[in-house]
Amino acid sequence: NDHSERMKKFKNKGKDAAALRRQRAEVNIELRKAKKDEQILKRRSISFSLMDESLSPGEDKRNEIIQLSLEEIVQAVNGSNTELQLQATQATRRMLSRQKDPPINQIIELGIIPRLVEFLTRADNAPLQFEAAWALTNIASGTSDHTKAVVEGGAIPAFISLLSSPHMHISEQSVWALGNIAGDGPLYRDALINCNVIPPLLALVVLLLPHLLLHEDLTPPLFQVGFLRNITWTLSNLCRNKNPYPPLDAVKKMLPVLICLMEHEDKDIISDSCWAISYLTDGSNDRIQIVVDTGILPRLVELMASPELIVMTPALRAIGNVVTGTDEQTQAAIDAGVLAVLPCLLRHVKPTIQKEAAWTLSNIAAGPCRQIQQLITCGLLPPLVELLDKGDFKAQKEAVWAVANFTTGGTVEQVVELVQSGVLKPLLNLLLAKDSKTILVILDTISNLFLAAEKLGETERLCLLVEELDGLEKIEALQTHDNNMVYRAALTIIEKYFSGE
Amino acid sequence: LLFLQRVLLLVASDVDALCACKILQALFQCDHVQYTLVPVSGWQELETAFLEHKDQFKYFVLINCGANVDLLEILQPEEDTLFFVCDSHRPINVVNVYNDTQIKLLVKQDDDLDVPAYDDIFRDEEDEEEDSENESDGSEPSEKRRCFEEDVIERTMKRRQRREWEARRREILFDYEQYEYHGTSSAMVMFDLAWIMSKDLNDMLWWAIVGLTDQWVQDKITQMKYVTDIGILQRHVSRHNHRNEDEENSLSIDCMRIAFEYDLRLALYQHWSLYESLCNTSYTSASLKLWSVQGQKRLQEFLADMGLPLKQVKQKFNSMDMSLKENLREMIEESANKFGMKDLRVQTFSIHFGFKNKFSASDIVYATVSLMENIEKEGPETTNFIKALDSLSRGNLDKLHQGLDLAKKQLRAIQQTVASCICTNLVISQGPFLYCCLMEGTPDVKLFSKPVSLCLLSKYLLKSFVCSTKNKRCKLLPLIMAGPMDVERGTVIMVGIPPETESSDKKNFFGRAFEKAADSTNSRTLHNHFDMSIIELKTEDRSKFLDALISLLS
Repeated sequence: NDHSERMKKFKNKGKDAAALRRQRAEVNIELRKAKKDEQILKRRSISFSLMDESLSPGEDKRNEIIQLSLEEIVQAVNGSNTELQLQATQATRRMLSRQKDPPINQIIELGIIPRLVEFLTRADNAPLQFEAAWALTNIASGTSDHTKAVVEGGAIPAFISLLSSPHMHISEQSVWALGNIAGDGPLYRDALINCNVIPPLLALVVLLLPHLLLHEDLTPPLFQVGFLRNITWTLSNLCRNKNPYPPLDAVKKMLPVLICLMEHEDKDIISDSCWAISYLTDGSNDRIQIVVDTGILPRLVELMASPELIVMTPALRAIGNVVTGTDEQTQAAIDAGVLAVLPCLLRHVKPTIQKEAAWTLSNIAAGPCRQIQQLITCGLLPPLVELLDKGDFKAQKEAVWAVANFTTGGTVEQVVELVQSGVLKPLLNLLLAKDSKTILVILDTISNLFLAAEKLGETERLCLLVEELDGLEKIEALQTHDNNMVYRAALTIIEKYFSGE
Repeated sequence: LLFLQRVLLLVASDVDALCACKILQALFQCDHVQYTLVPVSGWQELETAFLEHKDQFKYFVLINCGANVDLLEILQPEEDTLFFVCDSHRPINVVNVYNDTQIKLLVKQDDDLDVPAYDDIFRDEEDEEEDSENESDGSEPSEKRRCFEEDVIERTMKRRQRREWEARRREILFDYEQYEYHGTSSAMVMFDLAWIMSKDLNDMLWWAIVGLTDQWVQDKITQMKYVTDIGILQRHVSRHNHRNEDEENSLSIDCMRIAFEYDLRLALYQHWSLYESLCNTSYTSASLKLWSVQGQKRLQEFLADMGLPLKQVKQKFNSMDMSLKENLREMIEESANKFGMKDLRVQTFSIHFGFKNKFSASDIVYATVSLMENIEKEGPETTNFIKALDSLSRGNLDKLHQGLDLAKKQLRAIQQTVASCICTNLVISQGPFLYCCLMEGTPDVKLFSKPVSLCLLSKYLLKSFVCSTKNKRCKLLPLIMAGPMDVERGTVIMVGIPPETESSDKKNFFGRAFEKAADSTNSRTLHNHFDMSIIELKTEDRSKFLDALISLLS
């Protein structure tokens, strides 16, 4: 019917907003990366000597860094002297791991990538394998073209087989490289999956998870945590990106392990596994269903309440994605307790959290009236009104959507409850916003309120209320709004309810 | 220190704490801060008091308790609870030092705490924070990441570094926590606070003096520290009391004046007879070895040397001939030097109330201790505490006099017990330490179930023992003293004190040693006292506990 048709529309609207949001997040990452680089630059004085001694026994112990020209590198790499090969590879890696402007393009142009990939297979020369893996990791960390050069050099199968290297640091470096390749986009992600990257990765997790460890001394906890963080991040990249989604059977293989990782005590590991879940739920309802079926929603809701922003954010995103799904999927999130956590998040100091929480709420409010009733019972109206009144503007926009969805799907009694909780004043205040889309949604909501009032025969009282709150003034002013649709919607309301006098 | 809310004041049972408390009470009154005062004699009472009041109070002030344990760990307070800790116990627990949200330590700035550097003991959390710092904004993880040198160092070095670091941390903490000692008197710290706020009064200054003198009487600080702090207080004294100098005779009855003096180190002599004081002062009694017949003879010779008739010496000091009193200090000092008592004069302060009443700071300390640890029951547990606190106010001379009488009894009891312990060879060398156990049924044994009295007894006994023994090795040993605590429950109280040497740094390692010995023997012990070197344990467990201590310290 017409009613449910509209509801669907709202859900989709909610999702559009989410897509926009994601773009903004990307910009944030860029900024963050820059900041991080800056920080690392400051800490760069960390002794190289320690590392050189422990990792590169072949190198001059007096820590003289051997400077090789690019030509010398090409010669040595292509030559047959293994000592020189190692030196050259190390020199390459050094250049690629310098903080400012790593010469990725120049290295690619030397044409040594196939040779570096070949070094990956030198099981008899672990230092060489490691240096090559590191160099290739950093090449793959660049643009899509850079990653492409590594993949076309044949690195995927080589790295995958190195996952089971007896040397922990080589195995970890390979995980990192594969993460960079998977992060490039759906194409390489699926290429990796088709090369069976998942089974050895999962085997590593099993090896590293603490409750599966037999001897603690074998892999000391801290060593393990860093490695496990890398694996988790790589797994999250294998879940990432749409068009197309990652293959279903791959997702099904990774899910149980991701769920295990969400129980880990390290917050970075929890965070990245939650991000993975958020990617998997950012899709069609059947994709959401796979995640819901694992029974992970209660844990996600628990993590939403975490004091750690890096945990709370992806958990909230995942739950927010789930409630864009069917009524049953939304109900599963409600049953997991999402409504008990949301009030806190709506009042969170971080605007981004307020906004995501309001977005989540708006999609729950788009559900059937029994879900709306649960929303009322769980005390979501007061924080919603507060947010509408005093929240961050982006969060206010989401809150407006929540109110709009509420008035569309709620019963007359529920709408009365909404008005009684004081929603009208902040809602009318937002008519002064510069954003015409928001204004339209508010006007739509006001019409819905009047429809409910008509059913109760309380049109007069609502008119008075709107007038008392200086709403009429604001609606009248909108009749001169530049946006045609705004102007027409305002006009309709004035003509229908306020032309009597 | 600006409180908008009611404050709970938790005060330990020692004289310095009482003095600090008096100063703070005066400050609170000045600023109209509402507070509730709860005396606490040990950790158990502290915990109970906290649990009882934690719902009504957000602000807690702890005086002479709380600094040397992880308060947040033992009290588990809500996050908005705030503790202000003014405590002379050292070392301060490192968590208390580095917690700047819930624990505020009141410490004199120039006090050398030697706290380990934060990075040396808390690297753990800090490291994790550093790791997540980059991502604490909660944005999506990056798609690709470059691998820097640091990442690899972290991976390969962490394991070894971590182990080394942890070993170092244990070592640092061991060094830091090994010895117990005392920092600046809490009363002085509190006075400093009053002074900084320009709210210091002469009464407060006197309490600060008594607090410092308590540390000295109890032998808690080094001679150096005492002299330095006396110097600080002396400046305050001349600042507060200069105006009276010209008009000394016009003192009204309720006027008080504090004066710096080189006074005799004779306990309570102005309220006793010179003879009694000489007999019951640890310094003179130990130096003259008064427990022996020869000692008594030496005392007669000493008095004869001064040319003081026995009759005069044995009557109340107040009634002594004025002519004798005039040069008394010089006379005594001169003779004392001949008898090997070179330190009979000490720097101290006295207070005059009006024309008639004069008290030396140590008089007040003895009187207050005796009131606080009075064993004659007079109502509920807190009665003694309140009475002792009241006796510090200048309007309560009757209580003070009662305290002085009790103090005389106490000093006599200590002296008699010391004499009997030495004469009956109760002090035994156990190898790494001396040990003395008071038997049940010994006179005054009940008095020595109280911590401060037992400590005083131990110190006096050790001093006397060092003077009496010819064994050079034994002179350098610390002492453990045990006394019956609660006969019905079958418990003993035990205290360990550092060796009695001239250069003693007053640092006490028995706290840690007791803890370890109790752990290794599963003895039923209770570390209830704020001084960790005082412990309670079941009588049956005593011998195995001691055996463990001997092997631990050998």
